Amino acid sequence: MSLRWPEIVPPRAALAFAAGVVALAVAPWVLGLSPYSHNLVTLAFLMVSGALAWNWMGGFVGQVSFGHAAMFGLGGFVAARVLLAAPELPAPLAWIAGGLVAGLFALGAHPTLRLRGPYFSIATIGVGEAARLVFTYWEDFTGGSSGLSLPIDSDMKYRLYWWGLGLMALVAAASFLIRRSTLGLQLLAIKADVDAAADVGVSATFYQDLVFCLSGAVVGVSGGLWASYFSFIEPNDMFGFDRSIGFVLMTVIGGVGTVFGPVLGAIVFVLLRQFLLASYPQLYLGLYGLLLIFIILFEPLGLTGLLLRLSRPLRRWADRPAAAPSP
Amino acid sequence: MSLLETRALSKHFGGLRAVDAVDLALHPGEILGVIGPNGAGKTTLFSLMAGSLPPSDGEVLLEGQRISGQPAHRLVRRGVVRTHQIVRPFPNLSVLENVTVAALHAGGRAEGPPRERAREVLEFVGLGDRTHAVPGALTLAGRKRLELARALATAPRVLLLDEVVAGVNPAEAMTLAALIRAIRDRRHVAVIMIEHVMPAVMSLSDRVVVLDHGKKIAEGTPAEVVKHPQVIEAYLGKGHAGAQA
Ligand SMILES: Nc1ncnc2c1ncn2[C@@H]1O[C@H](COP(=O)(O)OP(=O)(O)OP(=O)(O)O)[C@@H](O)[C@H]1O
Ligand SMILES: [Mg+2]
Repeated sequence: MSLRWPEIVPPRAALAFAAGVVALAVAPWVLGLSPYSHNLVTLAFLMVSGALAWNWMGGFVGQVSFGHAAMFGLGGFVAARVLLAAPELPAPLAWIAGGLVAGLFALGAHPTLRLRGPYFSIATIGVGEAARLVFTYWEDFTGGSSGLSLPIDSDMKYRLYWWGLGLMALVAAASFLIRRSTLGLQLLAIKADVDAAADVGVSATFYQDLVFCLSGAVVGVSGGLWASYFSFIEPNDMFGFDRSIGFVLMTVIGGVGTVFGPVLGAIVFVLLRQFLLASYPQLYLGLYGLLLIFIILFEPLGLTGLLLRLSRPLRRWADRPAAAPSP
Repeated sequence: MSLLETRALSKHFGGLRAVDAVDLALHPGEILGVIGPNGAGKTTLFSLMAGSLPPSDGEVLLEGQRISGQPAHRLVRRGVVRTHQIVRPFPNLSVLENVTVAALHAGGRAEGPPRERAREVLEFVGLGDRTHAVPGALTLAGRKRLELARALATAPRVLLLDEVVAGVNPAEAMTLAALIRAIRDRRHVAVIMIEHVMPAVMSLSDRVVVLDHGKKIAEGTPAEVVKHPQVIEAYLGKGHAGAQA
């Protein structure tokens, strides 16, 4: 077997990506990040991972889920339970277990969600809220409203920066590959016109199930890392509707359906949240509301769209015919 | 044995019998025309054959095997594909990507990378120089070619064409008609075509089936069908004179 460079990955993009990951990996030492910034960036990695995975369903397939907190919470609690039951187990195995269960849950729940567009969205609200209620009452598993505490491990919290970065890098690379591959083409076809897609051979049910499962699994893994980070989790927060809305907001702010958008959106979301929640707790939801209205009305591709729009005149300026005679 | 066959195929929407016990057969290498007034049930008949809608009654057979009840995407892989009366390109994909999506589902009847096959099909329909355009940038005739290319990329055995020629200018109509003939002659695909443009359907079809109010009212060669009293009645006042062309 001969290994060939995949055609869909431009070498320059791969290089830029690798350079970015390396830069982020050495940033804590090079920049001497304060513990506060170190932790904030760790959280951003987890949020970016979640937003990227949400975008597979919401952006590529065009099925907007308001219920991803169910998989996030499930992943978190399964990982926490595994770590409590077997403290000597390497944490990544517990996170993967959380992701697997979350993915299976998504796969199991999805047949009830085989609806399109707004109907799907509304049904996911139901599934998400039902999950929150069930897991809040299931005290043996989640500890009910008093939650679960993991042994505090500040070293783990420090190292989560790189675990989070690793997860984000994987999910970002996967997003890029999905978008560029024939899988991505089929997802975009389903998004555009599910019946026309079926009429050229694309099984919408299969791909929607597949993507919902994968997206749920990744969000579950990020829930597991989240549990390790905070050492305390509580079902009303982990399964909270806010959290589901968060995935939607991050992606919509950044640019739904684009590869880069969720990254941008999640970063802006985490920063805004951090600063606004501290100084203006009443204002912060209102600001998101305004941002959303603005985006929906003027820039459906969110910040990515804005950047593209700004870069166009710049590029035109850069490409202006100076010495070279234009045709 | 006929390639595709329907037996007492029916579709009811509430009290409306949109397709009412239709029997028809398509032979290998044949172009079968389907005509009938607006609302006769032609598109619904295609939806039943292509698996877009489940029949209320009756069955569809492909080489003697029952295929009705199977979803559209599975029938595509078995070689039955339809186009849409109102073209439905994926606006978020380029012309080449539109066709590549379809080329992924040839069900083992075609060889080579999907993207290359998509390119070949686009050359065939005359869109070889528009591969990177978005569908919205094509003319209506161009989008009809794209619709054709997408269906062809699935390497069909049976191609169901819903009013491909209608709605474009006469010159375009001529080239689209020639393209349909080439699909049969050069790609060896059996075709059923719904068409309102009488010159096209009459010159292309080996046989014609006439539907009215969901029922098959006549069947035969184009020349036979236009003389059929019931057909004349169904078309009366609907520009039947054009049918003589
Ligand atoms: N999904 C549906 N639900 C209810 N009625 C329908 C549906 N689809 C079609 N019909 C009805 O069935 C009848 C046949 O429609 P169909 O579209 O098959 O006709 P057609 O022969 O293709 O007409 P045209 O020449 O205008 O395209 C019409 O009366 C139509 O209103
Ligand atoms: Mg019709």
